[in-house]
Parts: sequence; structure tokens; C-alpha cells
Amino acid sequence: MSASPQLAAAGPVIPHYGTQSSQCVVHNHLFCWDWVEGNWSSVLWPALRQHVYLAVVAVSIGFVLSIALALLARRWRWTEQPTILITTFLYTIPSLALFELLVAPVGANIYAAEIALVSYTLLILFRNILTGLRDVPPDVLDAAEGMGMTRTQQLLRIEFPLALPGIIAGLRIAVVTTIALATIVYTIYDAGLGVPIHSALGEGPFKTELIAAAVLTIGLAIFADGMLVLIQRALTPWARARRAG
Amino acid sequence: MSRDDTAHPEGPSAYPQAAELELRHVSKRYPGEREPAIGDLSFTVPAGEFCVLVGPSGCGKTTTMRLINRMTPLSGGEILLGGQSVLDRDVRKLRRDIGYVIQQIGLFPHLTVAENIATVPKLLGWNKDRINARVEELLRLIGLEAEGLAGRYPAQLSGGQRQRVGVARALAADPPLMLMDEPFGAIDPINRARLQDEFLALQAKVKKTIVFVTHDIDEAIKMGDRIAILRKGGMLQQYDTPREILAHPANDFVAQFVGADRGIKRLSLTTLSEIKLLDPARDRAGARRISASASVRDALSVLLTDGGRALAVVEGGSESGGDGGEGRLLGFLTLSHLERLIAEEYEQDRAPGEGQEPAPAGARGAGA
Repeated sequence: MSASPQLAAAGPVIPHYGTQSSQCVVHNHLFCWDWVEGNWSSVLWPALRQHVYLAVVAVSIGFVLSIALALLARRWRWTEQPTILITTFLYTIPSLALFELLVAPVGANIYAAEIALVSYTLLILFRNILTGLRDVPPDVLDAAEGMGMTRTQQLLRIEFPLALPGIIAGLRIAVVTTIALATIVYTIYDAGLGVPIHSALGEGPFKTELIAAAVLTIGLAIFADGMLVLIQRALTPWARARRAG
Repeated sequence: MSRDDTAHPEGPSAYPQAAELELRHVSKRYPGEREPAIGDLSFTVPAGEFCVLVGPSGCGKTTTMRLINRMTPLSGGEILLGGQSVLDRDVRKLRRDIGYVIQQIGLFPHLTVAENIATVPKLLGWNKDRINARVEELLRLIGLEAEGLAGRYPAQLSGGQRQRVGVARALAADPPLMLMDEPFGAIDPINRARLQDEFLALQAKVKKTIVFVTHDIDEAIKMGDRIAILRKGGMLQQYDTPREILAHPANDFVAQFVGADRGIKRLSLTTLSEIKLLDPARDRAGARRISASASVRDALSVLLTDGGRALAVVEGGSESGGDGGEGRLLGFLTLSHLERLIAEEYEQDRAPGEGQEPAPAGARGAGA
């Protein structure tokens, strides 16, 4: 486990080695907490922030687009099949290939990155939103209409609230997959937790950076998922209400 | 009768009047179907009356009801609510003026009982205080205020409670007309009878014009001031009081539909307080007591099971068939006296071409 003298003499092969090398880093232990501390503000924190930004923007845009597509499919049923076809096609394109393909028309920038990420959320979000809206019981809609609600009132006061559990279930999947997928944005654009992961992979046996970035990615995904669960609980108290207490 | 009245600012229920409903040569045709769902249907429900549409499935009774609040578009004819054609009104405003109860109730699962009831008042833009006052009033009216149910969700209610909330929601803005499509259809028989009694008591207070759809003739007889019996294609076979329909069915279809036991059913429409009893001065010791609010049918049943001994009819007591407790003695009833009353009634009431059924003793006009 300890670094060989030759390696240490050959200069800094450890990424973001810094000027102050601890015993842990010098001996190349599996995980060096002091390296994380030393590089948090310069390497890990910026990457994490970029990652959150990438994911939030992608899921938000994907969500708005999917709602629009779901409303279209509800209004004009014939649009559902083409939408499913296209979103499924987008979903099946290998991610590395899609990122590369977008470079030519869009450039190696954040737009290309977001376009790719958004396109992977559409299938999941569209289907969940549409299913959620379609699962609203017909008698509930009949009552709403019979009581004199307009289409918009029915949608906002009845259908969306009742579709929320399904919609949030879709959001959870979309958020987790987007956070995972955003680690390969580095291939075209220098942002996200993929950057430290990639540099750690490329540069020798030092594993701390790789582990730290991976753990941050996983932690971010779990945290975001948990937040969505809490949001759902807060927004849909009725979904857990069963029988008189 | 316009919606502006409904939004009257004072009091939670500033709109108590019911409206007359008139159907004139109404027809409904669905595209691609040869036969019209409703051919040519005309009848009038006077303000404050309880009208039951009844008939076998496919007779167009639900369609008729849905034409009234324009859930189904009209193909021909006219429907007037309070003298104004429903087609002349904004469809949303029209519907907010019409209470609507369906068999599956359609309570909003994500809203509490109170929020469900407040739906139409909110659509009408009532202020919070007025809505709260109205919700409380309605919860009291349907007997759910004490149980602290206002904050519960529909999934936490029993079937009967859900049904009551559905009725309260339909009554919320004090509509001049209520449409009810088999509202008790999904409730078990025991609870159904209770809900029917409750609803009749409620209607006695609120006096709405009601159009009530059912396929159950017994429910129609029990609930309706008037019954419209429909046949396939929305053909009106008879439109009359339950008493008249049972005494004088207009044709074979109606006779068959109301059933061979219509003579017995008719007895259930008359209470003991409405008939001539034997003199109470001659006391008969040990006679079984029965409440004057019980029906003649119930009394007959007791007479038959009791070996034909005389019944003492007493005041008070609300339970049909109950023993009437300690109320004042009004008179006596025996099998032979009942037989005499029925014979008298039959002589007065004889209709051409009819003959073999017993007529109820002392039948008077229907309650309305």
C-alpha cells in the first residue's frame, strides 16, 4: 500500500497533489480525509455545485417540456404515440454518443450538455405525468365538470393534484438518472463531478479523489430522492389517509 | 333564479327558492345510431317537487338528467329552468346553479370533507367567512358536524358518510335544482333505507326541485312526489304521483314495471293517521299498539302475523311499525275493518278496465 520511493521522487503524479502532502497521501492509502479537506474548496465543492446545476436545469426543462407534451397528448390523443416513439428513441441513444453528436451542431458547451441530459428525462417524465393524469377516476372528473368547473380549473384543482404521486414518482427516477448521467458531461464540457472522477481515473493509483467524487454523486442522488419523498408527503397528505383514526 | 342571486352577500343560504323545470319535446340523438336515445320527451317538474325518473336500463333516464345540466348536449327541443332555456345560459354558471350527485359520488380524494363541500361556493367566489359558515351549516344538516369529520379525507369515510357529503356538496350553494343519478345505488340495503329516510327529511326542510334517477321502482315510490316512467328511447309511459301510478297504471308496460304486488305497495303510501279508524271510546284491553305514522302496509303485516287481533293506533312515534309508545289512543284497526275500508275505496276509485287490485284505504292526494 505504501508508495514506492521512486514514484514519490518522480514528482506529483497524484492529481491536485497540492503543496502540503500528508503522510496518508505520501503512502497512498485507500482514502485520505486530509486530501479531501485540502481540495474541497478548489476541486470537490465547485464540481458538486456544477453537478447540481446541471441536474436541476436538465430536470426542470425536461419537466416543463413533459408537462406540455402530456397536455398535448391528453388534448389530442394521436400525439401520444409519436411522442412516445421520439422520447424512447432519444432515451436509447448511447449517452456518450449523444454528447459527442451534439458537439458538431451546438458546440462543446453547457448547451450541448443540457440538451443531452434533458432528452434522457423526457420519456420517464412524459409517461409518468400522462399516466398520473389518466388515472384520475372518471367519476371525479364527471363531478368536477358537473359542478361547473372550467377545463383549466379541473386541471389545476383536480387533475394535477391527483396526479402528483405519479408525477413525483417520475421526477424521482428522472432526478436520480440525471445525476448519474451528468458524470459523463466532462467528455464535452468541463463541469460536474465527472471531472474529478475522470482525472482520478487517468492519473495513477491514488483513489481518494475517485472515491470522494463518487460518494458525492451517490450522496447527491440519495439526498435529492429523499427531498422529493418529503415534498410528496407534504403535498399529498390525502394519499396516506386511510380509515378513520 | 339567476346566478347573481346565488352570490347574494348576506347569510350563508340566501337563495332558498326552488325553480320549475320544464322539458319541451326534448330529443337526443347520438351520431351513428339509428334510434334516438330520446325521441320526444316533455314533462314539467313544479318548483320544490321531487321527480323520479325510472325505467329499465337503456330507457334514457340518465341521459335525460345529463341533458338538463348540459353534460350531454341537447339535439332538439327545449329545457327551461325557472322559465329560462338552459341553452341561453353560460354552461359553467348553469352547472353551479344545479346540485349534482352521481352514484359513485365523485368526491375529490385530495380534499377534506369541508373542502369538498366548499367546492361550488369557492367557484362562485364567496368569501371565506361565508364559505365556512355554509360548510358548518351543511355538516349540521347532514348530521356529520359532531363527529369531527370536516378535516377528514374521503378515503377515511364510510360509504354512507361519503354519500351524505356528496349530497351536502351538491347543496352547498343552495341550488334551485338538484340532479341525482342513482345516488344510493352503491349502498347496502340497510344503509340505503336510512339514507333515503334522511334525504326525505332533508328535502322536507330544503324543498328543492329534484330530478332523481333510479332503476328501482320501490325507491321511486318511496322518494318521489311524481314518477316519470320511461321506456327505451325515452318514451314517457306515465308521469304521475306514486299513488296514481300504482292505482291506475297507464298501460301494460307500467303495470309490469311496477310489479304484480302494486296493491300491497300502494298500502305503504298511506299512513294510519290518514284513515278512518274504529271508535277509540270502546277500549279493547290488550290490543297491540302501533304508531299512527306507520303505513297501512305495516299495519296489515302486523295484523297478519298477530293472528288478526285488533291494533291500537296511537299518536307519536316516528319509526314505521314501531309500537308507538305511550301516545294518545286514536282508534283501533282490525282486519275486517281494513277490508271494509278497501272495499269503499275501491268503489270510489274504480277505473275503467281495471278491476282486481285492492285499493288503499282512504287514499288522498300525494303529499306535494
